Amino acid sequence: MGSVEFRGFGWRHAGRKAWAVRGFDLRIEHGERVLLQGASGAGKSTLLAALAGLLAEDSGEQEGEVLVDGRPAREARAGTAMVFQDPQTQLVMRRAGDDVAFGLENRGVPRAEIWPAVDAALAAVGFPYGRDRDTAALSGGEQQRLAIAGAIALRPGLLLLDEPTANLDPEGARLVRTAVAKALLDLDATMVLVEHRVEEALALVDRAVVIGEHPDAVWAPGAALPARKAAAAPGGPLLRAQGLVLPHTGAVVDEEVLAGQALAVEGPNGAGKTTLALLLGGLTRPAGGRVAATAELAGRDAARPPHRWRAARLAGRIGSVFQNPEHQFVTGTVREELALGGASPAAVDELLARLYLDKLALANPFTLSGGEQRRLSVATALAAAPRVLVLDEPTFGQDLRTWRELVTLLADLRDEGRALVLVTHDPQLVDSIGDRRLELTR
Amino acid sequence: MQTRWRTVDIVVAAVIAVAFAAVFYAWNNLWEALNGFALPWRAAIYGVWLIPAVLGPLVVRKPGAGLFVELVAAVISAVMGSAWGLSVLVSGLVQGMGGEFGFAATGYRRFGLVNAVIGGALAGTGAALMDLGVLPYLPPMTTGQRWTYAILVIVSSAVIAGAGSWALQRALSRTGVLDRFPSGRERVAV
Repeated sequence: MGSVEFRGFGWRHAGRKAWAVRGFDLRIEHGERVLLQGASGAGKSTLLAALAGLLAEDSGEQEGEVLVDGRPAREARAGTAMVFQDPQTQLVMRRAGDDVAFGLENRGVPRAEIWPAVDAALAAVGFPYGRDRDTAALSGGEQQRLAIAGAIALRPGLLLLDEPTANLDPEGARLVRTAVAKALLDLDATMVLVEHRVEEALALVDRAVVIGEHPDAVWAPGAALPARKAAAAPGGPLLRAQGLVLPHTGAVVDEEVLAGQALAVEGPNGAGKTTLALLLGGLTRPAGGRVAATAELAGRDAARPPHRWRAARLAGRIGSVFQNPEHQFVTGTVREELALGGASPAAVDELLARLYLDKLALANPFTLSGGEQRRLSVATALAAAPRVLVLDEPTFGQDLRTWRELVTLLADLRDEGRALVLVTHDPQLVDSIGDRRLELTR
Repeated sequence: MQTRWRTVDIVVAAVIAVAFAAVFYAWNNLWEALNGFALPWRAAIYGVWLIPAVLGPLVVRKPGAGLFVELVAAVISAVMGSAWGLSVLVSGLVQGMGGEFGFAATGYRRFGLVNAVIGGALAGTGAALMDLGVLPYLPPMTTGQRWTYAILVIVSSAVIAGAGSWALQRALSRTGVLDRFPSGRERVAV
């Protein structure tokens, strides 16, 4: 149960000339725990989707075979369970216990066996609450542990995890890894894990497989990272948060965003980091306190708070990169997206090349991989280059190569005297360019 | 020609119907708000009600899609409430059949701009016939006004529902959301 074999496997998504993966051979024996690594866009998620039997025959073109227990993966779906990146997209029920029971009910498990199986799965992942807990009241890490409970309750022969900790704060991620390790102890299953950050995943796996043409692009333990803290002293303030209230936690923020400085905003999931980013970006109205711009940033407009500025003026001064890149794509191609802010064709070309998006210049932004979408959304902010950049998780889903490039581009902008606000769970990003830290708590 | 509906066909057709039921709701209110505004002329906005009858076949490319999407959208908008009560179900049926004919005429083998415009015009013809010949809602108009109304409805439907749906389908296709459909895989590969 749970053996996996790719034989000359290839997949080309509809509408693409290039194959996402091609000529891929791999055999994973029953019970092995394998880490799948590769550059952003190398096809990791495609391989995982193929194993889960989720690549519909009519949504692309396939070569070769992907077999689970010797059968085509699409026919072996009953023995496979998968956990995705974003916990919110995979919880379907209101109460935690119902969510775990959902898969069992769909499999037609006898009623008497369901609740014991649910309780066992919840215990295996260390879920801290009862079955009746409201799933909406859980933190990201708790939601992800619940999703894992839902997966292992089915006693799958093959467990697939697609960057299960990418959206989580370091503490939540650690608890999820512990939950996976614990759940695997009494599960007779093969596991395939996709994860960029190796050092965190190594304890969970027996071996690592690196795919794609750029094996040097993957994160390796001890990789050298650029040290790009600001060399010069920061300039004057551009934005001020004065008694700014974060509605969910009631925390009050008093902070200055200085020219030529990268302010790192850290803290656990649910601490209000994204809310703070939206407030500083002038995209929402403060519930209490205020965000004030200085005359240096806004001239006469400084008399009014940024959220009252006209959209074009706001975009020219404060650029925002949202947590979910899809929320900010407005055009039909990668190139148009970058040119939207008025960047010259030459500047657009340079960004495309530096962020390894040049081959995708004419693709629709919504057809990119997760890591590519992230780079594009950051690149749009870099292309427009306003005085203040507010970036929510700018390095999410990046391989080492694209990560370095992003960090260098951001540091260059900062050194030109622009202000960066980096909302992030990525400790390496803070180590590399964070000049000052703001820690939010729950 | 593939005639069997897959699950994904049914789900996507239903999603389009729900989305346009919401549009219908807004459009019903807009139409009522324009009440009293020189009547035949407000028929210029009529085509929006017929988009599902053309967009359905353009996306799903199977017999019945125009009828299904237009009718389901009409049912949902009736449940949300409209000034015309349950008569919108009959209108939806006739309009959906009109859109359907635009593609049935070429055996469901062609789904280009020409078929879309013809489908839109036929759906508009069905709508005009219903409004002027069957349903009691329009106030009295002179013969000239009735002709103006009918022509406006048909032209609006050909342009908005026909050409508009064609453009909408192409825009949707470029985003990759229609990759499970033959219609979504015709875009230029990059």
